[in-house]
Amino acid sequence: MKPEKLYLTEAGLAKLTHDLREAGARVIAPVLATESSSNPVADYREIEDAGRIALGGPLPRLSLKEFFLPPTEALLSWRQVKGDISLDQPSGDYPRTVVVGAFPCDAAALPVLDKVMGWDYRDDPWFGRRKATTIISRACAVKDSSCFCPAVGLSPDSLKGADILLVPVDDSGNNHLVEVLTPAGEELVEAHRDVFESPPDEGKADELRKAALDRASENLDIEPGAIKSWLESNFEHDVWADIADRCHGCGACASVCPTCHCFDIIDEPEGIDRGTRRRNWDTCQASLFTLHGSGHNPRPEQSARYRQRVMHKFAIYPKRFEEILCTGCGRCSRACAAGMDLPEVLRTLDQLASSSEKQTEASSTGGVG
Amino acid sequence: MSLYRPHLVRIVDLIDETEDTRTLRLELTDPEVAGSFEFKAGQFGEYSVFGSGECTFCIASSPTRDYIECTFKKVGKVTAAMRDLQVGDTMGFRGPYGNRFPLDEMEGKNIVFIAGGIGLAPVRCVIWNTLDLREKFEDLTIVYGARSVGDLVYKRELDEWEERPDVKLWQAVDPGGETPDWKGEVGFVPAILEKAAPKAENSYAIICGPPIMIKFTLPVLEKLGFPKDRVYTTLENRMKCGLGKCGRCNIGHVYVCKDGPVFTATEIEALPPEF
Repeated sequence: MKPEKLYLTEAGLAKLTHDLREAGARVIAPVLATESSSNPVADYREIEDAGRIALGGPLPRLSLKEFFLPPTEALLSWRQVKGDISLDQPSGDYPRTVVVGAFPCDAAALPVLDKVMGWDYRDDPWFGRRKATTIISRACAVKDSSCFCPAVGLSPDSLKGADILLVPVDDSGNNHLVEVLTPAGEELVEAHRDVFESPPDEGKADELRKAALDRASENLDIEPGAIKSWLESNFEHDVWADIADRCHGCGACASVCPTCHCFDIIDEPEGIDRGTRRRNWDTCQASLFTLHGSGHNPRPEQSARYRQRVMHKFAIYPKRFEEILCTGCGRCSRACAAGMDLPEVLRTLDQLASSSEKQTEASSTGGVG
Repeated sequence: MSLYRPHLVRIVDLIDETEDTRTLRLELTDPEVAGSFEFKAGQFGEYSVFGSGECTFCIASSPTRDYIECTFKKVGKVTAAMRDLQVGDTMGFRGPYGNRFPLDEMEGKNIVFIAGGIGLAPVRCVIWNTLDLREKFEDLTIVYGARSVGDLVYKRELDEWEERPDVKLWQAVDPGGETPDWKGEVGFVPAILEKAAPKAENSYAIICGPPIMIKFTLPVLEKLGFPKDRVYTTLENRMKCGLGKCGRCNIGHVYVCKDGPVFTATEIEALPPEF
């Protein structure tokens, strides 16, 4: 489908936000969490008017993951009356939600995670929220030393996971070219036709897109396919001890990650006759994560746990689901108190991969040269 | 129904296997669920005590019976809570999950069951499954060892298998673990297997026990001539969901909960050394 193109002004966006809310939708957008202009901090939050939307950045501290896989959620509740247990579960109704101004690295994580959430067993809460949500991404113009989306096959204007993409057309960043990408996007545009203009004024859209891609490509140049092959054939390697030496195992990287989806299931009693079974975010960086009841731990060292995180993203998930479990958002590097830097790790692995490829080539051609 | 909602099960019997190991026999409380519930030998479940949480165990009973049994040692929060339950109490059960032992493929063949300690639980499921369908299988041999006589689980069943003419049982305890009246073997499982020397031709082996036992038993099976793709074992790893989502049971790209828990020795050999 060739995307339908429209135009949305600053005033149009404000009206759209207002009308969506009038129509009963919850509108989520990146907003500034602090007033400090020297060190601005943003979060995705529910908004009441478009005036609060921080389209130009910075990248929100947490990804959109929390709106689909909340940090904690009730799976069921139980109640015991005279020895009889009755179970109750959440209704399965999720509020109609529109995300306005999703960063493409966050939107891209959603279809990636659909794979693990849907293989054989469909995770109802995940798909319930996915179905109730329309994603309006906005081409990203933010870039810092931690970003690397082009290195994992994405881009600052990636369409992946978006129902509609907004592309800024001028330096103000407030007026946008609108690309309608999916039936859910079409439905939203149809319902709010009056806020969109046609034909679009494409302005400097192409130029801004290209400039953003060039900037984002500067940070990291790797071959994910070569890294995958190297990881698959070099499970035991000294590099992990070197890399993971600094890692505290705190799991901040997993919390801020748009694609880390590991969870725990625990019971929370509320008094003696009732309680809630909850699912909570968890992290493979904690030693308890894999600890057996016997005391045996398949991943006893931090190096094994860090290797798991990298392998899950760049070898295991691609092998099982044909998707890299990383969108290059760079949050893990920004959040790490120990200075662990995923782009740096990937660069190291890329070098190992390319030197082992060269060795293989050399040995297959006789090694003289 | 939500994936994470367990069936309610009632404890109908409770058997103390050893000082710290107990078997619970469970029946589904909802007749409709009970009527349609099915599982295959080798599958596992998430058992829960409301208020304490969920725990992963194999289904230790045979699918030919109309109940579910699990055998557990008290080691943590959930197993401690399970230990406090009495006959008549209600628990939760999610499952069955995972793959199975290919019993249809084993029909008309000999099967050697090899287990150590509480590792007999998943093997016992297959033993009863084959004994309940005895005419479909050829020679059945069981080699079972535990640290001491007190550590042998399913003692009443061991006695029954000892008596039955249609199954050959070799039971053993580690040197020093015997009692004065112990009539079984004294020695480690690999040595007892070598002594039992089951024929490899037209045979399958099913093995479960501590990693060290498996490590030293596999070469014996190889020496006896068992091809690696006819040697089956079952792995366990810490799990939460059992559904391939929570992300903790994988060994490399292999998810124990979905690709396993049953694997051939060939498949085990291909895994990265992280289990």
